[in-house]
Amino acid sequence: MKVQILEKNGDSIRFIIDGITTSLANTLRRIILSEVPCMAIDDVMIIENNSVLHDEILALRLGLIPLKTDLDSYNLPEECECKSELGCPLCRAVLILDVKAESEEKVVYSKDLIPEDPKIAPVSDKIPIVKLAPGQKIRLEAYARLGKGKDHAKWQPVSACTYRYMPEVSIDYERCDGCGECVNICPRKVLDKSNDGKVEVRNMLECILCRDCMNVCPKDPPAINVNGNKESFIFYVESTGVLPVERIISEALKIYDKKCLEFLEEISVNLNVPKKDENN
Amino acid sequence: MIIPIRCFTCGKLIGDKWEEFIKRVKNGEPAGKVLDDLGIKRYCCRRMLLSHVEIIDDLIKFYGKRDVKNENRR
Ligand code: SF4
Ligand code: SF4
Ligand SMILES: [Zn+2]
Ligand SMILES: [Zn+2]
Repeated sequence: MKVQILEKNGDSIRFIIDGITTSLANTLRRIILSEVPCMAIDDVMIIENNSVLHDEILALRLGLIPLKTDLDSYNLPEECECKSELGCPLCRAVLILDVKAESEEKVVYSKDLIPEDPKIAPVSDKIPIVKLAPGQKIRLEAYARLGKGKDHAKWQPVSACTYRYMPEVSIDYERCDGCGECVNICPRKVLDKSNDGKVEVRNMLECILCRDCMNVCPKDPPAINVNGNKESFIFYVESTGVLPVERIISEALKIYDKKCLEFLEEISVNLNVPKKDENN
Repeated sequence: MIIPIRCFTCGKLIGDKWEEFIKRVKNGEPAGKVLDDLGIKRYCCRRMLLSHVEIIDDLIKFYGKRDVKNENRR
């Protein structure tokens, strides 16, 4: 297996994994989407709310705010030793919202949400939560917990996690007459004509395997051939800002390891296979 | 009602980009260019801002008048 990072800017990363199967690529994708935990507001104690948004809509909006996550200092509620419904300082973080519009309309932003633990704060200060008319006020306490994307999308650490087959574009120069039809139709500008009129593949990675170039080629069979390499994948992962994207991927691999071990354990118990000797 | 926090489809945070978007579009900039500048690439996220109407602005006008009156009477 070979991994090559193509680009990383801010919260997103694009990389190639070569030499794995589709099922492994999809396993990685699904673990990133639904198993890597992150923080989100889960319970909201509303003390006062006479804004135009009802309590449940307000709570839903609070839940969707991505919170910076500190995976090392917090436990998943189901794995925490406290076993209490409201949680302990090891499995929940409190955020407080206390705002009132005096004589003018007021927009309540995510920056008004005051975190007890400064590490668990909204990723952006400028998210509008609600607008208050003069005299309206909101007082509430919100409890953030770690959770998994399979329970609710607010706990999904990524906003995009995709993979596609590595494109392979080849031109049979014996038969290609350089008419340029394929260059004109390609939506991703993968092909280009060089100075001596020869059609060349310029940026193969951009190809989306649409095969328009093959369909438009006047030769039969087409002089250009496009194929997806089913053992090589281009991944694109985009974090919502809750965790650095590298951390999300490494957590996903850890979870995958753990799942494999559990599975092996389960099999050997159910089939009564004696455990392998440590030495052999 | 009010700009959603995240894109309905992919979950990208878009709520914090609304105010800049609507300010620049009202100043006459083409919406597509503003979306590009804000780094909103996918069309699921782009339609969130493009098709949004901030109805809450109309609603709070009524509440404002009524609540201030009640407050003064108390
Ligand atoms: S398959 Fe589509 S994207 Fe790829 S080279 Fe051909 S026309 Fe371009
Ligand atoms: S359309 Fe076919 S014949 Fe024409 S330049 Fe492309 S590959 Fe060659
Ligand atoms: Zn606990
Ligand atoms: Zn989207």
